Amino acid sequence: MALSETVSPARPWADGAAEPFVRIEKLTKRFAGFPAVDDVSLDIFRGELFCLLGGSGCGKSTLLRMLAGFEQPSAGRIEIDGQDMAGIPPYERPTNMMFQSYALFPHMSVEKNVAYGLRREGMGRAEAMERVGEMLRMVQLEGFAGRKPHQLSGGQRQRVALARSLVKRPKLLLLDEPLGALDKKLREETQFELIGLQESLGVTFVIVTHDQEEAMTLSSRIGVMDAGRIVQVGEPPQVYEHPSTRFVADFVGSVNLFEGRVVEDAPEHIRLASAEAGATLYVGHGVSCVPNQTMWLAVRPEKLRLTRDRPAGRENALLAEVEEVAYMGNLSVFQLRLPTGKRLRASRANVARVDAEAISWDEEVWVSWEDTAAVVLAQ
Amino acid sequence: MSGRWLVIAVPFVWLLVFFLVPFLVVAKISVSDAAIAMPPYTPILDWEGLRATLTLSFGNYAYLWEDALYATAYWFSLKVAFVSAAVALVIGYPMAYFIARSPEPKRTLYLTLVILPFWTSFLLRVYAWQGFLRSNGVINNFLLWTGVIDQPLVMLQTDFAVYLGIVYTYLPFMILPLYANLAKLDESLLEASADLGGRPLATFFHVTLPLSAPGVIAGFMLVFVPAIGEFVIPELLGGPGTLMIGKVLWNEFFQNRDWPVASAVATVMLLVLVVPIMLLRLAQARAEAE
Repeated sequence: MALSETVSPARPWADGAAEPFVRIEKLTKRFAGFPAVDDVSLDIFRGELFCLLGGSGCGKSTLLRMLAGFEQPSAGRIEIDGQDMAGIPPYERPTNMMFQSYALFPHMSVEKNVAYGLRREGMGRAEAMERVGEMLRMVQLEGFAGRKPHQLSGGQRQRVALARSLVKRPKLLLLDEPLGALDKKLREETQFELIGLQESLGVTFVIVTHDQEEAMTLSSRIGVMDAGRIVQVGEPPQVYEHPSTRFVADFVGSVNLFEGRVVEDAPEHIRLASAEAGATLYVGHGVSCVPNQTMWLAVRPEKLRLTRDRPAGRENALLAEVEEVAYMGNLSVFQLRLPTGKRLRASRANVARVDAEAISWDEEVWVSWEDTAAVVLAQ
Repeated sequence: MSGRWLVIAVPFVWLLVFFLVPFLVVAKISVSDAAIAMPPYTPILDWEGLRATLTLSFGNYAYLWEDALYATAYWFSLKVAFVSAAVALVIGYPMAYFIARSPEPKRTLYLTLVILPFWTSFLLRVYAWQGFLRSNGVINNFLLWTGVIDQPLVMLQTDFAVYLGIVYTYLPFMILPLYANLAKLDESLLEASADLGGRPLATFFHVTLPLSAPGVIAGFMLVFVPAIGEFVIPELLGGPGTLMIGKVLWNEFFQNRDWPVASAVATVMLLVLVVPIMLLRLAQARAEAE
């Protein structure tokens, strides 16, 4: 693995001795016998921006709701800052949550919404209003203190919800699809503001999202969930370049998968005979496997190179036909068909504004990739 | 456009024919004088050839003002209606809340149970209370048998029985609008309140109750307004001292056969009801516009 071995203070998870801030141990939640969260163990460190990534129904929201105290675990335990959370109601937890629907109180002004948490902990009116004003300045909503939620735009409501959840300075902020209701442009802007806020306040964030791009941009680490289980935890480049399973490879970004059988297992390389590819594929690094084991080779679209002539010096080169070309501005995405019928996806950055040599529909091209560009997956 | 008018016209014509016209007839009778005749009042327009004389007599209204009986009856009716509505709110709110928070199949069952009493005649149900409340009734017999009391409690023909009857009868009218309102309450708002440190009681007073205000007002009005003019319940369960305006009205019409005074009683009752309701609607409209 090409993971850096250095331990820096910004990456406490790489340091075996670091004390986790949130400790989740063998956590299970069953609804009517069906496990929504299934035996999850996870450590989250202070100051992290941790993303739980997964499709709908994977259990990520249930996990978040157990951290907030809205759901009681069926088994296992949660510890936040050294304190066992069992039996502690939401209103006594050192966490605050930003809801997917924002859940702003419709009968209260922006100011009262943000002040709500402070007032409940018994803070005086004057002091609370000062803190609220400070918070509203931070999210750039100074002029909107007197408005009701229905008089705000979606982006403004999102900021109010964020301000309300941050004003109590929680130890742990839980965000459920925080940018889900915003349009693309606003979402991209807000992503960076969120990171800025998190860094300046030093609050630990746990974000639930189904959007892999969002998870990549925001997080210090990603926990990929599927069917109630955490299938991989890692920093964004690690999850993207070293997925542990086919599910992760496919969910995070897009990927071309070849099923194959190990026919040669050398210390520095292996070969897979793949009927799907119609060839024996070469992997330029050692893989722990046994001969004849079924494995999958995963290669990302941007790592495929398309040429009209057979590239020299590459072990992996397949002849394919261009079926579709999708021009996306920055990228062009090609859909290719191998003689075996297997379809591949390749992408290429549009470096030149006009490319007279551009590969087009119905051409026969060579698809190739470097010996170490692919990942071999056992499951 | 014409189709729309047609749809609106039907209820308008209905209200005009069956509400406004009868009210005008009552208002007309209230400004005439009682007479031993058929009908038992004097005409307000007297035709002498082509000359008409309009005689409006406001003596009936003056009479209502002078005789303390009417003021007492109005006041007592308002009091009974207000207290009953308040008690129904206190009982009905937790029930409506419980139903609204129940899972779906049970929710339908509970709602059916709330509406179920309507399947029996209202008169019969109030009459059945007599069997419960009288000295040798079910409640007293049970309490005597267990030895909690050794003298039967006087419950029938008291104001208590009237309150009980009204609360019992009108409780569904409190529960249903409250339920309709509370069922719409977004659960994530309650979670948000808890998340921000709101204990259950604080969440109730700061979030649930303010957001259910329209349901509270609707339910309160649906109990308060009909309870003011209630006749059957005080007649069957109340005592001689239970002087509610519905009973006064009945006496004026059918015992004294004084239609003009009875009409004046009815007209004043309508004003007593309509003016506060209109003020309330105005306040509501203003609150919504904010």
